Amino acid sequence: MSDLSKRAGRKPGGRPEGLTPRTATLIVAFCTIGKVCAQDARQIVEESQRRAQAHSQRYAGVLEVIAANSKVSKKSWESVRIGSFGMSKAILRFTAPAEVKGVALLVVNHTDRSSDQWMWTPAIGRDRRIALQDRSTRFFGTDFSFEDLEERDAGQYDFRLTGEEPIDAAPCWRIEAHPRQGKVSQYTLTRMWIRQDNYVPAQYENLIKDEVVRRLHQSDIQNVQGIWTARLLEMTDLRRNSRTLLRMEKLEYNVPINDDDFTVQALRREQ
Amino acid sequence: MKPWLLLAMAAIASAQDFTQRGFLDSTATFYPQTAPNDSGHAWDTELFQYEAFYKLGPYFRFAAGIDATVDSHQQTGRDFALSWWDRGRQRPAFEMRRLSAAYSRGKLTVEAGKQFIRWGKTDILTPTDRFAPRDYLNVVDTDFLAITAARLTYGNQSDSIDVVLAPRFTPSRIPLLNERWSGLPSGLSLSELPPDFPGGPQFGARWNHIGQSLEYALAFYNGYDNLPLFRAQLPFIQAFYPQMRMYGGDAAIPLRLLTVKAEAAYFTSTTPQSDEYVLYELQLERQSGEWSFAAGYTGQTVTDHRSTLFFSPERGFARAITTVAAYTIDTNRSLTFEGVVRQNGDGVLLKAIYSQAWGQHWRATAGIAWIHGADVDFLGQYHRNSHAILGVRYSF
Repeated sequence: MSDLSKRAGRKPGGRPEGLTPRTATLIVAFCTIGKVCAQDARQIVEESQRRAQAHSQRYAGVLEVIAANSKVSKKSWESVRIGSFGMSKAILRFTAPAEVKGVALLVVNHTDRSSDQWMWTPAIGRDRRIALQDRSTRFFGTDFSFEDLEERDAGQYDFRLTGEEPIDAAPCWRIEAHPRQGKVSQYTLTRMWIRQDNYVPAQYENLIKDEVVRRLHQSDIQNVQGIWTARLLEMTDLRRNSRTLLRMEKLEYNVPINDDDFTVQALRREQ
Repeated sequence: MKPWLLLAMAAIASAQDFTQRGFLDSTATFYPQTAPNDSGHAWDTELFQYEAFYKLGPYFRFAAGIDATVDSHQQTGRDFALSWWDRGRQRPAFEMRRLSAAYSRGKLTVEAGKQFIRWGKTDILTPTDRFAPRDYLNVVDTDFLAITAARLTYGNQSDSIDVVLAPRFTPSRIPLLNERWSGLPSGLSLSELPPDFPGGPQFGARWNHIGQSLEYALAFYNGYDNLPLFRAQLPFIQAFYPQMRMYGGDAAIPLRLLTVKAEAAYFTSTTPQSDEYVLYELQLERQSGEWSFAAGYTGQTVTDHRSTLFFSPERGFARAITTVAAYTIDTNRSLTFEGVVRQNGDGVLLKAIYSQAWGQHWRATAGIAWIHGADVDFLGQYHRNSHAILGVRYSF
């Protein structure tokens, strides 16, 4: 018995009253396709996340923030992450410019809810929890918001495959991700393009209501220790007309990292 | 310097686990009005700060830092010896800012030496922040001082306990009597006797819990107030530091629209001249777009009034509404506004600061601080100290 029939309380093959056979067939066909597409979209996203799994990751991020008036400012950070989608923890620590050297962000991701985030500011020797309502704020003058720095576990979204479209001449699946109830997000919808050849996300578009507000384009895809990884990320804030380029250098996977280094106390300890 | 030492230092500096940071800061302060005991209109302060950190293997970390200061107004001493204890009335010309060694393994971290220790969650008044003496040479623009202590932290992300033992007392640096921030009335000439520092150790413990929707901490402190009381036998005056015991707590609750932060502490003392009182702060904060806001009320309830002469900005800024608003203009420029208004209206402080960065290293700051009020109010007494600030900093 199909789900639709179960909900309608009819026998398999039974027809809803007042519908012609042709209409009923179309409805059943549409729903079946929709269900298959939804399942496929989730499978694609989960496969993409499965292929990116690693015990840990470390890289040096080199950032260029290009303002609307074309003024360029450079920043850099060191990123370490332990775990993968859903249960990962990450620390970003600025290494430049000099005046923010040592400022760090701890992101603790969860499978069932939004991440927890704390920022450590060495100049005042204090850590501060980044509240959920503050996650839409830009992260230290970059075009990434605090929310953009958390990992998106597939379990917190409903997916829909909406077609195929090439990005950078590579065929991609286009998938829409709607945050599930309980997931607090500034975005009402995220469109993602996942490459069909290596399952690496090539682009994300984040929407608030019907407006695309941020676009993340991922390129320079390389195989690093068996994991296909985009090493150049370009985040565009379409409302500010500014963009941030993030290049991952010295990228390593499965480096020995201790779970105890991902706590608020460790933020302070590492200075 | 010996060649082997030079080579060793070069090897450390080039190691991947070595990091350093610092700045050279030049700040000019302009006071339009003279004060009864200070006719100076313009002050200049030059500060060089350097900090270095070295990680030795997975367990050991070392931190060191120095401050080198010179100014035009004798707030900084002219003695070029390196100061460790920070007990002088003037800011030392050369100061060991920090020097500590830390051992971390699993959930345990032990750090010993001169270090910065901050407790509490609120941003404007932090009653539980007992191991953080400050430099109050300019009462409305302060900096923290490190203390010499051993600190043990044990715990995981959700629960941790922090135990601190400071064998020797570090006082806050209070305004110099012959300068405008002492707030002395005209015609009063005082002669200052050397401060009477307490001899015993200080101890504190803090348990911090991080929950899904709430963070809170309970803190206990037993030691001395880093802000002084005064014995006066005119024209002589002497600062002394009363025994203090604190029971406190703090909490942060992120709500749907705002984050609520609260911090409170009850202070008792065995020193007969010292008040017993409760200090508390309730603070709301929110970020919206490029704006961040924090507003709160700082309160005080004196349960046993005993003292007559004391210097305490913590208590002096209490019973007031405080606000901070910051606007990020773009990636290099920002504006900050601060306000403190005593609830009786006798003291008002308004600050506006504009800051702009150039490239990777340079930042300029321009600001004004307007102070208004009555002579009898802690804040209002500085009404002749409204000022403008111009600063340039090179960070590396």
